[in-house]
Amino acid sequence: MRDRQRFLRIARAASACLVLAGCEGVQSTLAPTGPQAQHIAQLFWVMVAGSGAIMLMVALLTAIALFAPARRRAFLAGDTVVLAGGLIFPVVTLSALLVYGLVMLGAGPGRMAASPVGIEVAGERWWWRVVYRDAGAAVESANELRIPLGRAVEIELSSDNVIHSFWAPRLAGKLDMIPGRKTVLTLSAETAGVSRGQCAEYCGGAHALMAFNVVAMPPNEYDEWRLREFQPAQEPTTQQTRAGKALFLSHGCGACHTIRGTPAAGRLGPDLTHLGGRISIGAAILATNEASIAQWIKHNQDIKPGNLMPAFDIFSESELLALSRYLASLR
Amino acid sequence: MAVARKALLAGVGGALVLALAVLFFAWSGLYNVAASQPHWALTRWFLDFGLRRSVATHSASITPPKLDDKNLVILGAGHFDAGCAPCHGAPGGHSDPIVDRMLPAPPELNRAASNWSTEQLFWIVKHGLKFTGMPAWVAQQRDDEVWAVVAFLRALPQMSASQYRLFAIGDPEPRPNDGAEIARNGMTMEALTRCVRCHRGDARPRSALVPRLAGQSQAYVERALRDFASGSRLSGIMEPIAVALDAAAITALSAYYAGAPNPAPSAPPIESNADQIARGKDIATKGVAESGVPPCLVCHGDARAPSFPKLDGQYAPYIVGQIDLWKRGLRTKSGYGAIMGTIASRLTDEQARDVAAYFASVAAPTAQKLKPPIPPSRHGGRRAR
Repeated sequence: MRDRQRFLRIARAASACLVLAGCEGVQSTLAPTGPQAQHIAQLFWVMVAGSGAIMLMVALLTAIALFAPARRRAFLAGDTVVLAGGLIFPVVTLSALLVYGLVMLGAGPGRMAASPVGIEVAGERWWWRVVYRDAGAAVESANELRIPLGRAVEIELSSDNVIHSFWAPRLAGKLDMIPGRKTVLTLSAETAGVSRGQCAEYCGGAHALMAFNVVAMPPNEYDEWRLREFQPAQEPTTQQTRAGKALFLSHGCGACHTIRGTPAAGRLGPDLTHLGGRISIGAAILATNEASIAQWIKHNQDIKPGNLMPAFDIFSESELLALSRYLASLR
Repeated sequence: MAVARKALLAGVGGALVLALAVLFFAWSGLYNVAASQPHWALTRWFLDFGLRRSVATHSASITPPKLDDKNLVILGAGHFDAGCAPCHGAPGGHSDPIVDRMLPAPPELNRAASNWSTEQLFWIVKHGLKFTGMPAWVAQQRDDEVWAVVAFLRALPQMSASQYRLFAIGDPEPRPNDGAEIARNGMTMEALTRCVRCHRGDARPRSALVPRLAGQSQAYVERALRDFASGSRLSGIMEPIAVALDAAAITALSAYYAGAPNPAPSAPPIESNADQIARGKDIATKGVAESGVPPCLVCHGDARAPSFPKLDGQYAPYIVGQIDLWKRGLRTKSGYGAIMGTIASRLTDEQARDVAAYFASVAAPTAQKLKPPIPPSRHGGRRAR
């Protein structure tokens, strides 16, 4: 008896978890924050309702066929029922669904404002290179897209290595990033806040840890942010962060990373000019702070095995603190 | 049936008795293990026969690389003088009466090249021989070092005493002839920790497989010696030397080499040409984006931290050899090694040769006198034990 109760409790808790994870998460396709994702969610619910109704109907007819008295179930053998249920109904339903689906998926972009915000996203192994352009100037960020509320955002997707797939479930459907091709995804957000995305096409070792954040911001905040983003990195102000900067430049970090405004101009890894202002590091794996940056520098191969950055287990405690404090200060 | 069973019983019983007799003989201690008494002829024959057969069988599947390379011979000579000559003797040397009382006595190696095949020599140097006093190679993964010793052993029979001295020890230096100095320090020529034997002082090493240390950053030389001493950097040649150095000696040595003037750039390998150097320069300055190779000079250029080595004017064969070690995962135990290991694994063999040719061709800037060179400590180089 007690076992049974415990089992029930666990079952209830487990199903509650599933429901929560499915609907409430920052990465749930069922909690849309923009029209494109709303369409997908709506399509999903229509499908669920429709197929549920059809399944009920089929179950009912099956029950009649099995259990009803012979005279009650005779009508099932009639030509009308076979013709209506087996031919006309599927043709009508599926055609309607097709048209509805096409309209649904084709909607959105066409009706968007004429001047979309352009962002370029390149799939890397295993992170996202994000490029913002503004009148000839281009700045890079990584693993985080900032978009203004209520405006259409046109995301140009590319890859120069393997196939990735860009998927921010609360905002839009998936779109593959195919080497040698450019694909364009248009989306927009209606609710401010952070939502999470994930690479949806297996792309090698650390694929599962290749995620990103999309931050939808009110237009004035977005403009402020964009102004800051186009600025070069802040100069360190304390002795410790100055030491951190010197360590960054003398220990080879600049071979792979760029910090605009310093000699570091590497392009193999993410641009770190405004690292401290991003929500996450390591492709949406760790929250950005001094401790996580230090962890990443020293133990990135344990945190994200197989990622292309070697672990830099060469700094003393105080050096690591200075370095991570400097990087965290780059807002 | 009964006869067969009887015979079997008799056989088993006989074997048991024999085994017990052997065990009893060993237990009794009557057999003389004294090295002062030579083996019986029969015992000697049996041990010798077993040893030769074992070496022949175990070395059967070894394929030697190209060994007629002066760089290999000189590197092997340098190690031989420190690691092997104390027991096996060297051309122009005298036999050591203590070693002469070993049983078996370590053979003079002038004839080794003819007594053993190249593969067999390799196997013996790498694995050592049980019950003979012959130790195994310190770093079992470093076959490249073992082959250097083998290359030397093959060249040894044709070597005159003076040629041997040049290869193994370098330019003759005046030996201490002051009685008081000899009384205190001994004949320091033979000290294990004589770096100049291979690396020389402010001149270029004779073997292009030996790194040039003159003008190298102090922090890097210190780190290298500590890594060798702790075994995080594997080398049968350098580990025994680094272990014998204490902290003060390591500091003094690295300060000496950091202050020593760096001589003219080493000649690039014979087969390198302007094209190769240009390709190498491209990699060193720009990296190889498509395979994730960062530009070498960000870590190895002028803005580098002192704990990163300077590569300007370094020998190309040495650089190629080290990149190969990284690729094989033999230099990745330390924090720094793990970084370079990741990068080396992305270089093709050709890119490694190009980039090595480039660095070999670069003239090192004349020694920056950051600190006045500290003269090598007289006692710093002595073996601590």
